[in-house]
Amino acid sequence: MTTSLPPTTAAIRAPITSIDAAASPWKVVLRVASTVWSNGKARIGLVMLAVFILLAIFAPLIAPYGARETGFERSADGSAAHWLGTTAAGEDVLSQLLYGAQISIFVGLVAGLLSTVIAVLIGLSWGYVRGFGADVINFVVNLFLVIPGLPLMIVIAAYLSGGGIGMIIVVVVITGWAWGARVLRSQTQSLRSRDFVTAAVFSGERPFRIVFREILPNMTSLIVGNFFGAATAAILAEAGLEFLGLGDSTVVSWGTMLFWAQNSNALLTGQWALLFAPGLCIALLATSLTLINFGVDGISNPRLREGTKK
Amino acid sequence: MTPSPFVQTPPAANSTLLEVHDLSVHYGYGEAATKAVQNVSFRLAHGEFVGLVGESGSGKSTLGFALTGLSKPPAHIEKGRILFGGKDIASLDAEQLREQRHGGIAMVLQSGMNALNPVRSIRNHFVDIFRAHGHVERSRWTARATELIGKVELTPTVLDRFPGELSGGMRQRVSIALALSLEPELMVFDEPTTALDVLVQHAVMNTIIELQKSENFTAILISHDLGIVLESAQRVMVMHEGRIVEDAPARQILTNPQADYTRMLLSHYADPRAEVVELPGFADRQQRRAEGAARTEAATHTPTVSPRTRRTDQHAMIVENVSKVYPAPRRGEAPVRAVDNVSFTLEPGAALALVGASGSGKSTIAKLITAVEKPTSGSIRFGDLDVGTLNRRHFRKLHRDVQMVFQDPYSALNPLHTVEYALTRPVVNFTGLTGTEARRRVLELLDIVGLSPVEEFAAKLPHQLSGGQRQRVVIARALASDPQVIIADEPVSMLDVSLRAGVLALLEDLREQWGVSLLYITHDLLSARVVTDNIMVLNGGAVVETGNTAAVLQNPQDDYTIRLLDAIPNPRKDVA
Repeated sequence: MTTSLPPTTAAIRAPITSIDAAASPWKVVLRVASTVWSNGKARIGLVMLAVFILLAIFAPLIAPYGARETGFERSADGSAAHWLGTTAAGEDVLSQLLYGAQISIFVGLVAGLLSTVIAVLIGLSWGYVRGFGADVINFVVNLFLVIPGLPLMIVIAAYLSGGGIGMIIVVVVITGWAWGARVLRSQTQSLRSRDFVTAAVFSGERPFRIVFREILPNMTSLIVGNFFGAATAAILAEAGLEFLGLGDSTVVSWGTMLFWAQNSNALLTGQWALLFAPGLCIALLATSLTLINFGVDGISNPRLREGTKK
Repeated sequence: MTPSPFVQTPPAANSTLLEVHDLSVHYGYGEAATKAVQNVSFRLAHGEFVGLVGESGSGKSTLGFALTGLSKPPAHIEKGRILFGGKDIASLDAEQLREQRHGGIAMVLQSGMNALNPVRSIRNHFVDIFRAHGHVERSRWTARATELIGKVELTPTVLDRFPGELSGGMRQRVSIALALSLEPELMVFDEPTTALDVLVQHAVMNTIIELQKSENFTAILISHDLGIVLESAQRVMVMHEGRIVEDAPARQILTNPQADYTRMLLSHYADPRAEVVELPGFADRQQRRAEGAARTEAATHTPTVSPRTRRTDQHAMIVENVSKVYPAPRRGEAPVRAVDNVSFTLEPGAALALVGASGSGKSTIAKLITAVEKPTSGSIRFGDLDVGTLNRRHFRKLHRDVQMVFQDPYSALNPLHTVEYALTRPVVNFTGLTGTEARRRVLELLDIVGLSPVEEFAAKLPHQLSGGQRQRVVIARALASDPQVIIADEPVSMLDVSLRAGVLALLEDLREQWGVSLLYITHDLLSARVVTDNIMVLNGGAVVETGNTAAVLQNPQDDYTIRLLDAIPNPRKDVA
């Protein structure tokens, strides 16, 4: 049994007749989606996230009252009319919670996305270039890393005061990208020494394409993980800033709910729902994002994916 | 016991150490299960040294893991029994199995050198085992560890060093010593030398053979290399697709192999020093040359079918007095001279072998020629390109003509891109073809390297291909730009023996058909003999010997060349 010899050049068969187009990018998206969905934990996370998003979108329809509608009995306990009670200003807590989801999810996703994009752009080019350019980036990133996050956030927020949600997103992005950039840079450095990257150089690829078509897809799980991490951090930072009263306290979000609850000493008056409900929502939203991350691992590791099929 | 000439003593029951009876190991369950080991039965007597040979995927490692009770899910013993000293291993629970390891079965892994904990000293590795089993008194720990480390021919100072400070060969020796520390009756060596350098491989293998004699343990040597096994084992079991196809004394396997598969494996071994070297798919080189000349004469009347006729404007790669010095790895050490004043010319259409053990600088030369690294001094010219000082922006100019085939087909392809993508990129970048034209070319390339049906292969992802198929894709990619020079860096060292000949024949064929010149980098002198005309032997970055391949190998002048030749396992050495 010897190995069959390959056909020689002379043996090139008749011109290949049927030439189909290459696989469409939509198939790739579908493949990725089904990969994430095939993981049990990720499925739970996706369902939780979907519920939050639906509640946020349809808040005007679901919520029994308006978010800023006052005039109910003040600081009431839960009742049939107000399931979670009312605030010290006489607003319905459940309605506020539903409307507040809009802000939290919006800030989380937008700030998470923006800081991930910055982290990817800077981290990948930083990991691929060598020499003086890398040193400059290194200095800037280190600068952002050594300054303590919360004080920096507070200073920037105080400086940009009155900007509302947009300001909070800017603050979260400025303070949140550096860590992700460093993680992605080290992964890029380890990938750039792999043979397939050298092979891409031999294929005549430009550096830009090597970084974003060869290296980047191999870090999908890291990037998506970074996005969910950044989104979680953004949700927490938003709640934190508003809780400290640095945001626009007239906006209804989970953070301002906590701020007002703290201001009215809700715990002392026994209104635990005022603190507990937004707190639990923040925790659950963060949990759902973390659960989705489990499924993301399968994307950049095809072997892991096959393992889940059983 | 008085031996009686009349009664044929059957292998006495008490001399059997291990008995495997109708063993099957599956990955997964039911219909979809991968049947890695199927209905395997054999016996091992005390003190035997048995080799287990097979190619990747033959189930040999799975069998080794099953014997040592180390099978990991989804692998599980479907049926059959493994009796070790009368006890069925499969029925033991984790704790019993752990106790069993003392005086029982030990295993040395291929990656055993990476099995050491990098933050613990070698001494601590021994202490961990002594403590876990309590079979050595605390006062004797150092003495025992010193004794063990001596058995694997290391000095006691090694005990206070950390794994990162030791070479691969030393680490593998340490892991053998660790396995010995439990005084096992059975040692399973799973490819113990595969990841090591040729010369080191030879030395470690000798240590194993010596140890087996002096310690008198029973050993199973699992390897893909029939040559190594035949040199060391008394009995050889050949495994193919989960079954043992042959089980016979080593000498008999060599002189009178029964199974077709064994014969096929044996046919891939030859002595590179021989007058005439023939491998499956390769007639002898001289002979082929003669035939080839005849063929070309006969073919002058018929127009060539090949669309790519030989080029007229071919250039030689001229390397002159090139050195490459890397900065010192640690402060206080001397800088590393990877390449030391090397000069050679690669003529158009020629095949040159660059041979040496690891660290001899042969891969660095490949990097220099392809402008991936810049030489510290000297010049490299290809046509009117000065490769030594080539700017990144002009890489395309060079890589249009100089392409590379990588050593490890498993890392040379991006795991997330289909074969089609990998091949389309160089086609688009170098030939300017687009759309269906480019795709036609890609499919043509796949056809050239013998991957058909082409469309099916084009749509595959690398993990769906075998090692040999991947290497063909890598070769196809190197051909996409229609290059003049191909640099092949150990293109077959990661492949099974039976696939090697195919890939080598493909390279050889392409070279002859397309007039491509080949720089073949390897430590394997046999393959160098069959695919190249000239050879350059490197040691420590410098050229120690150069000349016609056959002449150099038959009549080596330099000591280092002789050592390299001696390190080649050659099963027929003592038969011939």
